[in-house]
Amino acid sequence: MPREIINLQVGQCGNQIGMEFWKQLCLEHGISKDGILEEYATQGGAGDRKDVFFYQADDQHYIPRALLVDLEPRVINGIQSGEYRDLYNHENIFISQEGAGAGNNWASGYEQGKHFEEDLMDMIDREADGSDSLEGFVLCHSIAGGTGSGMGSYILETLNDHYSKKLIQTYSVFPNQNETSDVVVQPYNSLLTLKRLTLNADCVVVIDNTALNRIAVERLHIQNPTVSETNSLVSTVMAASTTTLRYPGYMNNDLVGLLASLIPTPRCHFLMAGYTPLTVERQANMIRKTTVLDVMRRLLQTKNLMVTCNARTKQASQAKYISILNIIQGEVDPTKVHESLQRIRERKLVNFIEWGPASIQVALSRKSPYVRTAHRVSGLMLASYTGIRHLFSKCLSQYSLLRKRQAFLDKYKSFPMFADNDLSEFDESKDILDSLVDEYKACESPDYIKWGMEDPHNLLTDEGTDIGSIDPTYQYQ
Amino acid sequence: MEDDRRVGDLVRELVHRLHNNSSSSLSNSKPNPSNVKYATRILSSRMTPSIAADEAAMAYSIKSQLVKQGKLSDALSFADLYSKFASKNGPGSVNNKWAVLYLLKVISEDRKSNLKLQSDSSFSGGLPTLFEPETNGNLARVTKDSSGFSRLGKNLDDDGNDAAVSNDNVNGLRHSNSTKFNNGGVLLVSKDPENLRDIAYREFAVIVKEENDVSEEVLVRDVLYACQGIDGKYVKFNETIDGYALLDSIRVPKPTKIMIRKLCELGWLFKKVKGYISESMYKFQDEDVGTVAQAFCAALQDELSEYYKLLAVLQSQSMNPIPLVSDNATSGNYLSLRRLSVWFAEPMVKMRLMAVLVDSCKALKGGAMAGAIHMHAQHGDPLLHGFMKRLLRRVCSPLFEMVRSWVLEGELEDIFSEFFVLGQSVKAESLWREGYKLHPAMLPSFISQSLARRILRTGKSINFLRVCCEDRTWADAATQAAAATGTTTRRGGLGYGETDALESLVTEAAKRIDKHLMDVVYNRYRFKEHCLAIKRYLLLGQGDFVQYLMDIVGPELSEPANTISSFKLSGLLESAIRSSNAQYDDPDVLDRLRVKMMPHSSGDRGWDVFSLDYDARIPLNTVFTGSIMAKYLRIFNFLWKLRRVEHALIGAWKTMKPNLITSHFFTKLPKAVKFRLILTSRRCQVLWNEMNHFLTNLQYYIMFEVLEVSWANFSDEMEAAKDLDDLLAAHDKYLHSIVEKSLLGERSKDLYKTLFMLFDLILRFRSHADRLYEGIYEFQARTMEDKKMEGVKHSRSKKNMDSDSWESEGRKAITQRAGDFLKNTGQDIDGVSKEYSSLFKGFLSQLPVQQHIDLKFLMFRLDFTEFYGSAS
Repeated sequence: MPREIINLQVGQCGNQIGMEFWKQLCLEHGISKDGILEEYATQGGAGDRKDVFFYQADDQHYIPRALLVDLEPRVINGIQSGEYRDLYNHENIFISQEGAGAGNNWASGYEQGKHFEEDLMDMIDREADGSDSLEGFVLCHSIAGGTGSGMGSYILETLNDHYSKKLIQTYSVFPNQNETSDVVVQPYNSLLTLKRLTLNADCVVVIDNTALNRIAVERLHIQNPTVSETNSLVSTVMAASTTTLRYPGYMNNDLVGLLASLIPTPRCHFLMAGYTPLTVERQANMIRKTTVLDVMRRLLQTKNLMVTCNARTKQASQAKYISILNIIQGEVDPTKVHESLQRIRERKLVNFIEWGPASIQVALSRKSPYVRTAHRVSGLMLASYTGIRHLFSKCLSQYSLLRKRQAFLDKYKSFPMFADNDLSEFDESKDILDSLVDEYKACESPDYIKWGMEDPHNLLTDEGTDIGSIDPTYQYQ
Repeated sequence: MEDDRRVGDLVRELVHRLHNNSSSSLSNSKPNPSNVKYATRILSSRMTPSIAADEAAMAYSIKSQLVKQGKLSDALSFADLYSKFASKNGPGSVNNKWAVLYLLKVISEDRKSNLKLQSDSSFSGGLPTLFEPETNGNLARVTKDSSGFSRLGKNLDDDGNDAAVSNDNVNGLRHSNSTKFNNGGVLLVSKDPENLRDIAYREFAVIVKEENDVSEEVLVRDVLYACQGIDGKYVKFNETIDGYALLDSIRVPKPTKIMIRKLCELGWLFKKVKGYISESMYKFQDEDVGTVAQAFCAALQDELSEYYKLLAVLQSQSMNPIPLVSDNATSGNYLSLRRLSVWFAEPMVKMRLMAVLVDSCKALKGGAMAGAIHMHAQHGDPLLHGFMKRLLRRVCSPLFEMVRSWVLEGELEDIFSEFFVLGQSVKAESLWREGYKLHPAMLPSFISQSLARRILRTGKSINFLRVCCEDRTWADAATQAAAATGTTTRRGGLGYGETDALESLVTEAAKRIDKHLMDVVYNRYRFKEHCLAIKRYLLLGQGDFVQYLMDIVGPELSEPANTISSFKLSGLLESAIRSSNAQYDDPDVLDRLRVKMMPHSSGDRGWDVFSLDYDARIPLNTVFTGSIMAKYLRIFNFLWKLRRVEHALIGAWKTMKPNLITSHFFTKLPKAVKFRLILTSRRCQVLWNEMNHFLTNLQYYIMFEVLEVSWANFSDEMEAAKDLDDLLAAHDKYLHSIVEKSLLGERSKDLYKTLFMLFDLILRFRSHADRLYEGIYEFQARTMEDKKMEGVKHSRSKKNMDSDSWESEGRKAITQRAGDFLKNTGQDIDGVSKEYSSLFKGFLSQLPVQQHIDLKFLMFRLDFTEFYGSAS
């Protein structure tokens, strides 16, 4: 009864990230490119669990619990002709027959998702049936394009209907806001996807391409980072965030336990990630001093975060952490963790919410014995941070700009959802995102618990007053 | 120096006076230098009279002589004077009282009669001969004039002068003597041409015979008999005085009587020793006499045979008649009582010692006996020291043999329970802890406590290896140890006095045996692996396993305890193992893991009685004894409860997880209900967050600050452990530290109680939260249904219609009910929240009071952001 997790990689970006992720997992578990256990990994003793993400076929092949979905064949064909072509279950690959893609149009992706719902759900059901105690789904996609965002959104909604008890976690790539994208309708796509991420996902790990590029340039000194280089960063984060599931220890051995502590307020389920020390392959010889304290301190530095919150200083200073989980990998002396936490508290390196107790959770995890790293200790931070609202605000303002001009809306109106000039979906999405931003903002205040209770007077005059009056300081006596 | 000169002057003056008086006409008051020289020589010679220096005997003989001569009054006054003289002590008094008496006696006897004129040399060693010729006339005076005697007693110098002054009779013999003096100062006992001496001796013998009923020869023989424990003719064992004594009917002088009694002490002692030996010998057949006692008897027997030899020789000598004093030149091989006392001097000391030993050891055995004997060995007298050493060598050899065979072979050959290691027949698992112990009474004092403990442990290790580990290879280690110390494993290699050798043997043996034992425990029985297994399963280190177990036994454990089948739980345990990473564990380890149902009382749920047990099996159950496992179970129960609560709390999160509330369903609700819904659910979430924060941090503390840190310390100590005792101590420490730090200790009882109340409260919260969210979902489903109905009725474009328009009777009722429901549940949750915060505050306030420093870590974690304001 491993708590299986099914990986759904949708669209070009999703598949690229997914591919890197599986590459990393294979390395860490000693699984060869064609799914056979490497000679050196057959002895056991690594204490790893492969069956969370893999299952074994009759011929001992390890097969990823992964569904590769795309509306255009380019990336998946690349995978199928690449060195990992024998790893995946070919029944789990879905490419639209037309192969025309979604044309960077959310509505197109969404519609095609509806169109192929039966095929997709067949695959998902088959995969879910194949697992003993399915824990949930992980969706890898980008929110800017067509397939990942549109079709991804549709899949999220469908999963929510069919598997409401299962966890749905997404790794969502946010577009780079510093460069002018060739996808002009990016703000529309992002907004519509964000609505689904807010309503239909349990946890969204925000991967901000802006930050990834910045990290690649500033931290790794790569002038023009390629997609595969930034993707390798993403796969590192994904792999690291699942180590406690794959290398069971005392705590955090299931996804729900991992996420529950991170997300005390259900709506604020957008997490940002940080990782240190970061390297890409050709710089593996760059060694930095890695003590637990170093790692934990660096994880709190914004430059190591994979999210860029374009906030002004004043606003940024008000941002608070709702929760922090540090997954420390490597040989760590548990007593050092305590020392590090003490230092961090002394120096007031973190601002936590004031309406409840909070602390930096630390999960110590084993490292794969098969992957050589130059660092003794590495760390991943997953955090729920109110500053992330500025990212959403930016999305909102970009959308508003575009919407004001009524630009590019024709593309959407050709699809049933927006037919008859019905743009209420946009408005509803904006409302939801607005309220999300508000909720995050409310979390920054100590009075979060009373938030949303304003205007008590209206309540009294409301038609439902027979239930009783409610005021913000409401107490059941 | 001054004394010497004074003595010299006095002697010169003495000689001068003597000469002056006797031959004033011959020489002109000028001391003859040769005479002075001669006198000095005599004085400085070591010639002593051949009689025992017994003051009382001397006084008695003077007194009896006076009585014999009919001078009763003189005798009385002598006795009176003597008692004064004898009581005179301190400075200025005469030290050598006996010598003074003797001198006086000799002088008086010299004068006693003309017949006995020259007989006194029989008493002499030479000194009196100087005065012999001159004192003849003096005797009468001395005997007559008792006042002079008293003066004598007062001042020796004057006395000498007086004696010399009064010495006016000179007979012819003196001349010959003086010429002899002049001839070279050599004393010659000249043959008495007139046989005067022989006559005197014969007279003397007659007197002696008259005084004594029995002859000395007979008495000597009787004494010899008595010294062999046999009653003689005259000397018999007297029960009343508990000793050998001359029969009262026999008339002998008192000194003789006393002498006999003194000599017969040997007989008494012998009787005692012999009695002990024969008594022990008699018991040899039965039992009860330990090997040490046997050795002791044998050693005593050997000593006695030496004694017998002496007695045989003496007996043969006693056959020789005691010659008259005149014969002394011809025969020396006779025994008088006095000679006997010389002969007996050494055996007496030994016998006395033996008797003392017999006395002090009679009731003892084994090591205690050896120890008691050892107590007497610390003797300065080399004779006694040597004797004791010989004796102890014999006595200790069985003991040392026991040590050797115990240390090298693990054999406890101790049928008489003499050894200081005591074996008990116990079950194999308690062999180490209870099987053997030190018997302090049997520990001889020459073996130190620490050495004894090492000895105990070494043999115990061997037995442990043999019995519990079924190991045969320890013999090699023992042989090596023996070889290393140069002592072969032969018997009897060690003896008393070689404590160093013993110690080095024990050290070597202990080192090797212990190392071997540790090897066996670590490698063959994989102690560390089992410790890790216990840590993984009983201390919940294997997270995935624990999780699945919790998942599958959870429903079962909610049933009443008496309806639960442990058989079924075992099956569930199996499947938890199979489906977790535990499946890759050693089958041997998994085989030992089992379900244990604790005794339950009525009303207990499965949760209260379920626990896991680990069957360590022989020999590891020596470490993991019943009581140790009970401690593990306590820890397990605590951790299991903690996990269960965490599990419940995570379950609660799952019911309120983000994608379950499609938040916009309530945007169209009446505001009051909407607000109440938002408020209630947010309160629930915030409380959940608080509880979760507490639990995760508590868990983190337990897992990393307690379990991991304790384990790291234990691992280090395990590496360093040299013997099983070290290992046991390290393990005890490990367990103790876990118990203490996880609030399970005695001192944190209150805290623990609060903790469990918190746990129960969290479980209660879960059910409230579940109810709340189930209600909300039902409400949501109804509303959505309404919406869908409307969706069917109305066209799609009217989807976003005003909320008023879809109001209906049904909907209103639902809203009403929802409002009531929210109110009630909200109150419940608020109640829980209040109770929780007061309990939690209590918990936090109790934390700093605890002794354990590590609990500060917990405090630190629980209030990281100072939300609870502890830092102020």
